[in-house]
Amino acid sequence: MKELLTPKKLIIRTASALAVLVVVMLVCSLIGTESVSLKEVFSGAGIQTRANPDYEIFVQFRLPRIILACLVGAALACSGVVFQALLRNPLADPYILGISSGAGLGAIIAVICGFNWTVWGRSPIAVFAFAGALGTVWLVWFIGRLTGKFHVTGLLLAGVVVNAFFSAVIMFLTSIAKSQQVYSTIFWLMGNMAEEDFLVLWIGAGCVVGGITALFYISPQLNALSFGEADARSMGVNIAGTQIIAFAIAAAITAIAVSLSGLIGFVGLIVPHAVRLVFGPDHRQLLPLSGIFGAIFLVIADTLARIIVAPAQLPVGVVTAIVGGPFFLALLVKYSRKVSWLK
Amino acid sequence: MNKWWWLFLILSCWMAAGFAIFGPLQGQNCGDTALPARAERIVSLAPNLTEILFALGLEKEISRVTLDSDYPPAAAQKPNVGTFWQPNIEAVIAAKPDLVITLGFHQQKNIAERLKQIGYNTLTVNIEKVNDLFKAIEKIGAATGKQLQANELATNIRKKLDRLSTLVGTEEKVRVLWVVQREPLRVAGRDTFVNEMLEVAGGENAIGRTVHKYPPIGAEQVIVCGADVIIEPAMAQEDPARQQNRALQYWSKFENLPAVANKRIYVIPGDTVSRLGPRLYEGTETIARCLRPELFEN
Amino acid sequence: MNAIIEVENLNFGYTPQNTILKDISFEVIQGRFLAIAGPNGAGKTTLLNLLCGLLRPKAGSIRIDAAPVESYSVKKLAQKVAVVRQEFIPVFDFTAAEMVSMARTPYLGTFGFEDKTDKRMVNEALEATDTSQFALRALGSLSSGERQRVFIARALAANSPVLLLDEPTSFLDLKHQVGIYDLLKTAQLEKGKTIVAVTHDINLAAQYCDEILLLGADGNYHIGETKDVLSPEQIEKVFGVRIFVGSLGQEKFFIPLGKFAKDSGQIAGKPHNIQQEQKQ
Repeated sequence: MKELLTPKKLIIRTASALAVLVVVMLVCSLIGTESVSLKEVFSGAGIQTRANPDYEIFVQFRLPRIILACLVGAALACSGVVFQALLRNPLADPYILGISSGAGLGAIIAVICGFNWTVWGRSPIAVFAFAGALGTVWLVWFIGRLTGKFHVTGLLLAGVVVNAFFSAVIMFLTSIAKSQQVYSTIFWLMGNMAEEDFLVLWIGAGCVVGGITALFYISPQLNALSFGEADARSMGVNIAGTQIIAFAIAAAITAIAVSLSGLIGFVGLIVPHAVRLVFGPDHRQLLPLSGIFGAIFLVIADTLARIIVAPAQLPVGVVTAIVGGPFFLALLVKYSRKVSWLK
Repeated sequence: MNKWWWLFLILSCWMAAGFAIFGPLQGQNCGDTALPARAERIVSLAPNLTEILFALGLEKEISRVTLDSDYPPAAAQKPNVGTFWQPNIEAVIAAKPDLVITLGFHQQKNIAERLKQIGYNTLTVNIEKVNDLFKAIEKIGAATGKQLQANELATNIRKKLDRLSTLVGTEEKVRVLWVVQREPLRVAGRDTFVNEMLEVAGGENAIGRTVHKYPPIGAEQVIVCGADVIIEPAMAQEDPARQQNRALQYWSKFENLPAVANKRIYVIPGDTVSRLGPRLYEGTETIARCLRPELFEN
Repeated sequence: MNAIIEVENLNFGYTPQNTILKDISFEVIQGRFLAIAGPNGAGKTTLLNLLCGLLRPKAGSIRIDAAPVESYSVKKLAQKVAVVRQEFIPVFDFTAAEMVSMARTPYLGTFGFEDKTDKRMVNEALEATDTSQFALRALGSLSSGERQRVFIARALAANSPVLLLDEPTSFLDLKHQVGIYDLLKTAQLEKGKTIVAVTHDINLAAQYCDEILLLGADGNYHIGETKDVLSPEQIEKVFGVRIFVGSLGQEKFFIPLGKFAKDSGQIAGKPHNIQQEQKQ
């Protein structure tokens, strides 16, 4: 596993992982509170609305939800990889630089102002959450830059401060808002997979996959960057350029993920680590594989969330934490010999 | 062309294809849009909606309800589609409904929109004040072909409320503190249907106008509110007698309140007063019995 | 041979008021081994960072291979100049081979994979530094000496004409100190690399380097052949400490003498011939 990565190895691993993803998606789409038979699904939609509920449940609810889980899982995992590389910190996750509180603030503002218009049928909460996430992350970037050009510590501190400040603002707004709205928002923020319409999924998929591909293009630079800026520079890496591109893409795909499904934790933190433990830290491989395994993880977690306490649904974030924690521990114990900083 | 241009090109084609395929479908409402004259498979997503449907005589037509629809007892026997807070949309579809009735708050409104998009008949009603209730009964009656029964129900409730109002008279109003939650302390404000019930029952909210509908309040406000009566709607799970004891214990520290001094602290069954539905009169009468017990001596 | 590094009237300071390097000019001929030595704070590392383009001079110019450092893109500069700094354990557990192959980043193909040449360079570098047996081990599992050799292997794999090193043997034991300098000297002699090494150890500098640049704390500097510049008077002036100079064949060695040295105050800068004394 530790020999130099070759294109052939990467293709084989990625293809295998994709195959696993497809199988998982198929199996999970047939699991749910209602039993759906594939035969009914293939016989197509009935002429009238209520003729073929199996088909409708599958196509209108199961499939979009599973696709959404793939998208969000891939986006969060890859974003986690990037932030861990940029900040050279294994504890970094996609929300570390203010995205979570920014999205929350956007959502609460949308709810309080009582906007009713929709963008393409998307509720204003999602749009505002997206804008809030993106805006906050650029604010943190800007503040971080003030502390010195490439100072990672400055970025981290700025992130912590902004997160704290915005969280306080969120609590303030929550306390003065009318209770009904607030419950809705908090529930939304806990992370949930709401069924989306296909256009949104299509666009979202394009953005996320496109973003991951772009990150793959700069993987060698990310490898070098994880050594430190001075080192990376001596290896011919344009540090500012790489940082900005990586940062922008990671922030964008995370904002998309958050605006579609609220805040789902754990995926962005542990999937990169798990993949790194098994396959190594080379980003050319870490990125695509983290994306695929993030998707697999979230699809499974969401399926569990749907069936464990049926007919109610658990917030997905709860399942990711409960499922992810022990799984990661097991992985850590098995591969800990290879991890130097645990010695 | 280098790899970045290729990426940009493929991405642009992807987005364009997306709009081409799915764009025209936006805002399209496929499926039948006309409400049937008589709905035969109704799904109700809230307990008060279920009560209304039963009151209109639609028991047979109700296909599914939510887990918390427990009145009348027959309702609890119906198969469920999740809770009113988190309805299971798949179960709704599996029920092959020809009419889905939902409330108007964010989650349920989204579900209604989603179902409408696919082509199901939905009816969304907002029931937050007493007037809303009467309007909702009317709408549901119209949607299910039970206009007569709806009228009768609404008139019935109004008559009984008026009678109570007359009985109570215009004497001095009893100051009531309506406690929704004890820790942290949350009360019903003036802008709620609870307040409306209080006023018909001869009471007056001990709390003045507030920004929130159900504001959290501090001990100071409790001390100065001068409530004559404290009412707490009971929580379904707990034994009402124990709740009454605990309530007495809790409030004993506010000894200067007339309510505490006169031991007028009531824990009443929650259903009829927390749910704005056809049992509006029953709930209001229960409150009146607490406020003006002397009127019901006979 | 022509000069591959030309420094002209270099001025630099971290703050506008403070100037560490004043009007420094020198050149390094291709294929030579230059040591930069001096007391702490004189600006040795600063000078190195200026040479590799990490810092910009306040005044003056630095040219690498006849073109100003600023004119190089980061990628092109990496192909000309490789830098070795203090070894460290990276946050993520890359293997030695992965780390060395990162030196090939400026040469990678479209999708960022190494081709035959890159792999060959990596293998040669690992062999030259005697680290092939660590190729598949994580950097964190190696000793400091082994890790420093891997860092040097990375610089060698870049196949650049110039090698800059910042105190490559600071924390290493005697055997590794000599080992690393042997390695560098071999690279210089066999591959014609130009090497500039910042070092605290003037003895090693004397043993291995052709030229030495002595940077004083006051901004004065002396540059020239090692044997010429390293005179006891010069060293005493620059470092401000009493020096005992001894010779062993063609090698000279320098020992600093402090307050508690048991030389009975005999040394005032005169060379002392050990072999002679042993005969007596």
